[in-house]
Amino acid sequence: MGGNKKSVLRFSMMLLLSLGLVLSACGGGSNTKDAAKNTTKDANNGQATTEKAGDTVEPFEISVFIGEAGQQPTPDNKIYKMIKDKTGASFKFEFLAGDIDQKLGVMIAGSDYPDMMTANQKLTGAGAFIPLEDLIEEHAPNLKKHYEKYWNMMKDSDGHIYTLPNYGVYNSDPDSTWYSGPAFWIQKDVLAEAGYPQVKTLDEYFDIIAKYKEKHSTIDGTPTIGFEILNYDWRNWGLFNAPQHLIGHPNDGGVVVENGVAQIFADKDYAKRYYQKLNEVNQNGLIDKETFTQNYDQYMAKISSGAVLGMFDQHWNFQSAEDSLTTQQKLERTYVGLPLVYDTSIRDYYKERPALNLDNGFGITVNAKDPEKIIKLLDTLIAEDWQKIFTWGIEGEDYYVNEQGRYMKTQEQRDKFTDGTWKLANKADAFFGRAPKMQGKFSDGNSTDAAAQPEEYQAGLKEYDKNFLAQYGFNSYVDFFSEAPENDIAYPAWSVDLVDGSEAKIVNTKQNELSTKYLPKAILAKSADFDSVWEEYTKEIGKLNIKAYEDRINEVLQWRRDTWTVK
Amino acid sequence: MEETLRNGRTVRKPKKHKKMTWSLIKDQRQLIYMSVPLLAYIVLFAYVPIWGWTMAFQDYKPAKSFSDQKWVGFKHFEFLFKDDSFLQVLRNTLAMSVINLILGFVTAIILALLLNEIRKVFWKRTVQTISYLPHFLSWIIVTGIVATSLASDGIVNDVLLKLHLIKEPIQWLSDGKYFWGIVGASHVWKEVGWNTIIYLAAMASIDPALYEAAEIDGASRYRKMFHVTLPGIKPTIIILLIMSIGHILEAGFEVQYLLGNGLVVDWSQTIDIFVLKYGLAQGNYSLATAAGIFKTVVSVTMLLFANWIAKRLGEERLL
Repeated sequence: MGGNKKSVLRFSMMLLLSLGLVLSACGGGSNTKDAAKNTTKDANNGQATTEKAGDTVEPFEISVFIGEAGQQPTPDNKIYKMIKDKTGASFKFEFLAGDIDQKLGVMIAGSDYPDMMTANQKLTGAGAFIPLEDLIEEHAPNLKKHYEKYWNMMKDSDGHIYTLPNYGVYNSDPDSTWYSGPAFWIQKDVLAEAGYPQVKTLDEYFDIIAKYKEKHSTIDGTPTIGFEILNYDWRNWGLFNAPQHLIGHPNDGGVVVENGVAQIFADKDYAKRYYQKLNEVNQNGLIDKETFTQNYDQYMAKISSGAVLGMFDQHWNFQSAEDSLTTQQKLERTYVGLPLVYDTSIRDYYKERPALNLDNGFGITVNAKDPEKIIKLLDTLIAEDWQKIFTWGIEGEDYYVNEQGRYMKTQEQRDKFTDGTWKLANKADAFFGRAPKMQGKFSDGNSTDAAAQPEEYQAGLKEYDKNFLAQYGFNSYVDFFSEAPENDIAYPAWSVDLVDGSEAKIVNTKQNELSTKYLPKAILAKSADFDSVWEEYTKEIGKLNIKAYEDRINEVLQWRRDTWTVK
Repeated sequence: MEETLRNGRTVRKPKKHKKMTWSLIKDQRQLIYMSVPLLAYIVLFAYVPIWGWTMAFQDYKPAKSFSDQKWVGFKHFEFLFKDDSFLQVLRNTLAMSVINLILGFVTAIILALLLNEIRKVFWKRTVQTISYLPHFLSWIIVTGIVATSLASDGIVNDVLLKLHLIKEPIQWLSDGKYFWGIVGASHVWKEVGWNTIIYLAAMASIDPALYEAAEIDGASRYRKMFHVTLPGIKPTIIILLIMSIGHILEAGFEVQYLLGNGLVVDWSQTIDIFVLKYGLAQGNYSLATAAGIFKTVVSVTMLLFANWIAKRLGEERLL
């Protein structure tokens, strides 16, 4: 009996103990975090001890969170293997699955960060990133040189640099053969059939679409859709952004900046003019009936079918649908971007000089065990030989150098570069897409972007496109746009952080909601009702504290002008 | 309840009323030890999280310690109740919830009754399997199917056109007056088979003698359904109803979010979507918590109310 009692006691003690363990493990989060902080501090202070480590190749792994959906590279990926052989570094990627805000919320709540993460203002705000400026000064001469001109811009409002922007650092005027931004897109065949006209205004644009649609009521068996507008979730610019471009302004998001002052344009008369035009063409049946109920997948499916004649969108947003048209050999169904304006007296400003992309790129988190090693790795990889490997690949395998010293590709190599499966095994895009990178030209004059190398672009053009461009006398489709003027130092306004939970952000959310609700209503209304819907819409906007939103943007723009001096 | 207590006592020899004494505790310590893990589990996962409710009264900033948070009183509740669209959002939530509740109950019970009447086991199984399979699809897939079916060249419009019921395709998703119906119908399609399972189980436990007796009295099939089967599953229905009423403010989120668009926003936005937009998406976790508390309070009240009604009607109760 006695032994029995004891074993019961022992058993229950064990239970209690294990419970206690579980409980203490739950509470331990902050301890480990502190420990991590200490180690980062140690790493910062004790550089002397680890200085030598850079020379020998000892393997280390960096865990990386990428804030967008993506695919894991293959385990035997050519480029990652090379990085590992030469520097010892290997990457463990985690890609976003689901909603970014939700994911970051969970990560922040638990301070559960990998070594490196893609930039996000939420993360910076929550203190997830360590300041990088001292690390770079001490250990990363190449990075320092790379970012020299942009050093002030990269600083957060507290004076620290938390993330390394991935795009927008140019060492020369960029060669560009591909336009990725916003435009009114039109199917090439529509232009071809109209006799390759110069389309400059909104009215001309809808005229030739209407004419084409009248002639061809179906395309490959599907009813022709004249104009498509996507307004789904965060991809809402298809409906919102066009008016600012039509009056000759670049993409500043929700505001137009005139004489240095930002103002919303959603309720202005020039915006009304655009939506009234849409209302008018909707009466003529040009706009897809489902345009405001469709989701992104349905939108992409429609474009891939080749039945959509035109839309306002950013090129990268529907690029995969266009790729699918190319794969189907329907080249006449792919698109040309047109920089439309209200009337020909307005100079179009669609093409812009790329601004530094402050919302993207890598930051090193407080949990990183050895930030110094990471920064040294990034410093190694920004060197020109590595950059060539990242963009062009391996000489002899992925490209060749011709007699003039220019990099070129064979058709086979070119095809591989558009093959997603091949890329997973032979390109390091998951890392390189977000890493600091050289843009412009290498020291030998070759372009840093294979697709932008002018002779390479020409050689890769399909017969159809060669002929099409010849009709206009252009070298590439980018020539449809006017040259971009020099950017205002504070540009672009869309990158202003509205600060989570602030009045400005709430007002902006509400205004977006009103636009999502009233603009479709106005466009689909009978012409006679348009004015009354518009009036109701502007009245509702008037009720919001728009000033809070505008003030916040103007304040930041002013701050940028004061602090972002570029040498 | 008292009866069972009395029964329990008689079985365990009539003793004097047992008090909580040390000797009793010592006597039953094995039982107490056994209940410790469960108790700890409940405290840990059901009561400790309530501590998080303090967030609703702060301007909560993540990664800051509790003492560093700023207390703001009822600010977030005020924001919630003062917002113009909140009433509308509440209306939508309640309406869609009630529609789902009633449609869900009625269709599930009817399907269960019908299935119960099928004598060939093979067919019964087949129908049941087919009807509960959609339960395993996630809402994102279901809404995809719904959106495709309701497109202008989707199956719904096709069928209606072929039957000459309409002259041109209806834009189902662009008109607010259809929205609640679409949500209700999607719920029925997805969950009806799953919901019948519990009723079928309840029906299986009805004494066959009752059916035989009814048959001898000359009851038809419908009479038997009405007077034997339905009363037989009444307790199950009541309990399930009470439980669902507790979830009255959970009209769901995915369907409305994925099927909603600018044109129907006045009918589609629910509390959860509102909270997502103004709470989570803006890093305003306090507002989200305040909304959560509001929902919980309403739910508990409704649950107690339904339970009280059931008691007044002399029916089975949950509590």
